[in-house]
Amino acid sequence: MEDKEFDRLLKITRLRVSDGERSMIKKDVEQVIAYFDEVSAVDAGKEQERYPAAIPGRFREDVISSFADVDGLKRNSKMRNGYIVGPKL
Amino acid sequence: MASYIREFNEIEKPKDYYEGLIEGIEKLNGTYDAFNVINKSARTGFLFSTKANICVKGFETDAGSKMLKGYVPPFNATVADRMLAKKDFSFIGVTNMDEFGFGTFGINTEIPAKNAFDSEYVAGGSSSGSAVATAMIKYHVSVAESTGGSIAAPAALNGVVGFTPTYGSVSRYGLIDYANSLDKIGVMARSSEDARIVFDRIRGRDDYDTTCSVEKISSEKKSRIFVMDSMLSKADQKVRGAFERLLDRLSRDYSVEHVDSATMEKAIAPYYIIAMAEASTNLAKYTGYKYGAMSQDFYKQYNEFFTDAREGFGIEAKRRILLGTFIRSESVKDKYYAKALAIRSMIMHEMDRLLKDGYILSPTLPITAPKIADARKLSPVENYAMDLFTIPPNLGGFPHISFPYDYIDGMPLGAQLVTGHGNDYAILDFVKEWESSFNYTYKHNLGEL
Repeated sequence: MEDKEFDRLLKITRLRVSDGERSMIKKDVEQVIAYFDEVSAVDAGKEQERYPAAIPGRFREDVISSFADVDGLKRNSKMRNGYIVGPKL
Repeated sequence: MASYIREFNEIEKPKDYYEGLIEGIEKLNGTYDAFNVINKSARTGFLFSTKANICVKGFETDAGSKMLKGYVPPFNATVADRMLAKKDFSFIGVTNMDEFGFGTFGINTEIPAKNAFDSEYVAGGSSSGSAVATAMIKYHVSVAESTGGSIAAPAALNGVVGFTPTYGSVSRYGLIDYANSLDKIGVMARSSEDARIVFDRIRGRDDYDTTCSVEKISSEKKSRIFVMDSMLSKADQKVRGAFERLLDRLSRDYSVEHVDSATMEKAIAPYYIIAMAEASTNLAKYTGYKYGAMSQDFYKQYNEFFTDAREGFGIEAKRRILLGTFIRSESVKDKYYAKALAIRSMIMHEMDRLLKDGYILSPTLPITAPKIADARKLSPVENYAMDLFTIPPNLGGFPHISFPYDYIDGMPLGAQLVTGHGNDYAILDFVKEWESSFNYTYKHNLGEL
């Protein structure tokens, strides 16, 4: 994999790797992709199974329900004036 | 042993039973790191634990990742709600695991769980802590999760029963997802009957999980056992020898038939392609401000903020996010992802055809437990190859069970039995029959009465 492509992947995944990690992870990624190339040799037909079981797509009733522990939900975030604080746009 | 749950309910317990047991668990946990969190207030019923990717209200659930450090769910996963519904089970704690389920040996997390038979050896993964806790505590079951073998592998290495039900039979509401088309919640126990009791408690329709659609479970006993010879040849000599002895023993009651499946052998690469593609999208939601590890500097620019926040991912998680994102790239997605789905389809059809006529039996893992230090030296591809036997049933959502069948140099070996979709009770019955003539042994029996 070219450095340019590796950098593109880091950018779109919002990941940063240290200089020490970079060569190791890049080498691992290349080896795994080479391993994945094995699938090209398999004649598997055209049918593609996305799930191992049929998903009926059954939805629950569209009714308003209350969430029991709103305070518990808020405790997992940094709050200000009742809003979750997020990064600057 | 038929059922530890039934035995426990029939025995009179001393008044300070739970206090003494919890003290013992805390002490032993210092060596084995099976639990991330121990609930010291458990005082009634049979103990159960949950893997650290299953939400239990009020208990830190970090999925083995620094990215979720400090996350305390304000709700119960459906399986936790169902376990706690009748007050006959008591929650003892959250168990250790590979980060987000990424591992075969349990070592891809900050402090790995250690094998319950020898702490120098791996516990197996990714449900490492669930298996170790089950092997440590006599009256205990664990609700765990498998994507590609995360119940079977650690169960085998710690000498417990690891049952992975049919995909879609147990609700995943409240499970921190890894790969949605593969994740399944299952059970670790010291007996097949206990696994069945827990399976019956947690399974069934759930309005909060539309993929939970398999309701009818059967017990259609098969008289034939299929063994994949070419796959077996990839197991190490000790494992092959012990497995051949198991086949000899089973051949008294079953017709053991050696078959070859070139298709099933090809399962590893497509499995990892699908798993990584799905994982890379699931992990995109960890952004460092809604929950879990908080980024401190909210004044940084947008991209810098997220890149800083996502530094908490471990090496294996970073590798899988990069690979999964690459696989989904427009220029290569047909080559990898679409092809992997087609191979999955082919494997499912082939297994389905075989499983109509019999069970598939194999060793659970191709090797005996390695030392933690040795497992750390394996490359990612060498690691993935260890999932040779566990991936095919997981890729196809087929129910399977790992059960102890031998001990080599004091360490347990597990065999894996697979059956068709919805025939879950048949493999539980098979193992129950096995348990009537084979005693499982443990180094620890905390809480013994």
